[in-house]
Amino acid sequence: MRSALRVLALPVLLVSVTLLAFGFRPAPAPAADVATPAELVKSYDTLADAILAVKHTEENLVRAILAGGWAHARAEHDRAVAALSGGSRDAARASLETLAALVAQLGSEGDNSVAAVRKRLLEGGHHHNASGEAQGIYDEGFVVVTREARKALLDASRAIGQAAASGDRTGLDKAWAAAEATVKSLAVAER
Amino acid sequence: MIARLVAPAAGVLLALAAGCGEALPPAPPAAAGAPAAARFAFTDIAPQAGLARITRAGRPGKDHLLDSAGTGVALLDCDADGRLDAFVVNGWHLDGAQVLERGRHALYRGRGDGAFEDVTDAAGVGGAGDWGCGVAAADQDGDGHTDILVTSFGSLALYRNRGDGTFTDVAAGVGLLSPAWNTGAAFFDAEGDGDLDLYVAGYIDCTLDDVLSARRTLDWKGKELVAFGPFGLPGAPDVFFRQGPDGRHADATDEAGFRDKALGFGLGVRALDHDDDGDTDVYVANDSDPNYLYRNEGGAFSDVAFWCGAAFDANGAAQASMGVAAGDADGDGLTDLFCTHFSEDHSTFYRQLPGGLFEDATVPVGLREPTYMPLSWGTAFADLDADADLDLVVVNGHIYPQVDAHPEFGMRYLQTPLLLENVGGRFRDASAQAGPGFASARAGRGLAVGDVDGDGDPDLLMSQMDGPPVLLRNDSAPGAWLIVDARVPPGDGPLVGTRVSVTAGGRTQQRDVASGDSYLSSHDPRTHFGLGAAERAEEVLVRWPDGTQTRLADVPARQVLRVEKARG
Repeated sequence: MRSALRVLALPVLLVSVTLLAFGFRPAPAPAADVATPAELVKSYDTLADAILAVKHTEENLVRAILAGGWAHARAEHDRAVAALSGGSRDAARASLETLAALVAQLGSEGDNSVAAVRKRLLEGGHHHNASGEAQGIYDEGFVVVTREARKALLDASRAIGQAAASGDRTGLDKAWAAAEATVKSLAVAER
Repeated sequence: MIARLVAPAAGVLLALAAGCGEALPPAPPAAAGAPAAARFAFTDIAPQAGLARITRAGRPGKDHLLDSAGTGVALLDCDADGRLDAFVVNGWHLDGAQVLERGRHALYRGRGDGAFEDVTDAAGVGGAGDWGCGVAAADQDGDGHTDILVTSFGSLALYRNRGDGTFTDVAAGVGLLSPAWNTGAAFFDAEGDGDLDLYVAGYIDCTLDDVLSARRTLDWKGKELVAFGPFGLPGAPDVFFRQGPDGRHADATDEAGFRDKALGFGLGVRALDHDDDGDTDVYVANDSDPNYLYRNEGGAFSDVAFWCGAAFDANGAAQASMGVAAGDADGDGLTDLFCTHFSEDHSTFYRQLPGGLFEDATVPVGLREPTYMPLSWGTAFADLDADADLDLVVVNGHIYPQVDAHPEFGMRYLQTPLLLENVGGRFRDASAQAGPGFASARAGRGLAVGDVDGDGDPDLLMSQMDGPPVLLRNDSAPGAWLIVDARVPPGDGPLVGTRVSVTAGGRTQQRDVASGDSYLSSHDPRTHFGLGAAERAEEVLVRWPDGTQTRLADVPARQVLRVEKARG
């Protein structure tokens, strides 16, 4: 093997020297195409559509949760008012407690089951409103309900709970008006 | 109805008999009439009292949260001699993934004067080698003897008291099986059927392999890598066991309405009748998740914490809750709640409003500032200076030893406890004037309150990680006092859930008997009342769990008043 290499070495050296002596230069290569292949860009673009669609879907889903909760709350509010007007204290109390729970759930974008999903998403690094969280506008993982709206809804729910205990119609009306205004500000009811 | 004096108060400490360590340090002169700044005096007498067993807590670097969770303590009378005994839960000692020691729990028999004797081995309650977490003590089977429940990583142990100084673990036999990271627990009668049921909180869903192989991967302030979690780890579900008439327990979590839908990181548990409707509700302190308040509606429970105002702080934020205390701090007849939290966030005082609702009143009552920097765990309302209102005790200690490398952040791994004096409904940080017991920094966790030396004031038993228990003897200013030792005849229903009201000097105070409290701990079941200057109570009213009442009039102060329920 070694001797074969030795035999080839001399001719190769001669050819090389000759080529250099005659000023041989290899032909210039065409400019390398460094662009990301269009097919990949297209795929990524399609994926972006899907990712953004998922994000939109997430927002729509949360809005649907809120809209459903709000519709339920309005019906419960009507029941509570009717019970209060009719002097049915026990029925009014039960209805108002349900209403308080529904309004609190609006403030939390759903009940504890939803909270568990939200926690999973956060654990996976998904923050729907990352920049809003950084600015203190949203609590971690919240999609639609701002921190300010959340506090307003939780306060309203407790005030409704107080009305449940006391049967105070004025207190209920005030709390309900606050809840309505907050929900309206979130543009939930219109959807 | 029988009411009799059991033990007149004795303010004199006895010298210790041999075998219990050194003689107890003498109490300083009584500080009666002292100015507010000198009202309190607490001294750690654990070494002299014979409380010596080290509480093991994983690795020195605290690589996993189990290394940092610490353990609970209980004050109980397990031999029915009228003197408090002490139980301290133990963990494991690790070196990396190697188990160096599986710590044994300790049962110390109290001699009534503040000294104890370690009777663990004779009693058979040292444990089966599991990593212990919490404890709840109660006469769980209604035979007249106090039993001990120990929650552990991966198991429960129920030490049935045989009445002869020995115990048998019957957990598996009675159906108490929970192979999770079990933390706080509370016995209570959920349906009013006379049997004690059990709620057990779950913390993180992980395996022992996860614990042993843990590495510190969480970035702390860009400075250190510390133990990961709980955020980013799955929560373990809480579980509820219903006791049947045959003494067996069945998992009735879903059926009773306790399904842990949020999989919150559960720690402290307190059962109480928060809305005073005659049945027992359950409050659960969750780390980094909303707290739960399960309202009892005829044996069916629903979580009302969101709208009752007991789930979040005033801003609607979930906090990292560790321990919980319940008591009527403002004297309005409604039970308030206090939750301890992580450092750089205040512990929260939930003032109860009419109708069973709560509001975060931390700022108005002055509790934000003193509780903001410490990382807090065990806690209790107790009238430490017997001036007829409830003060607060908070046990502290950081979970990351690594914080000591960065004093610029203003926190240390070892931290001093807090004594927060109730002054007309506002709390004043009196820790610095509360004696040497409040001046020593520790990695504190559990807290149980009870009068261990029979002098009529509440003493404080604390657990600390990687160290022996701490027993802070109370030598504070002696106002008048009354301890109500309520008793239920064997087989006539539970004592847990009993509510005691004492009216003295025109002021009515109330306490309840609970099993499972604070942080993974259990207090003296006897109820202590400070009476201030009143040397007699106009009325003592005991409301038993079955709704019957025992009423006593014109009761002299400075005694342990034993009140026995008439057999129903």
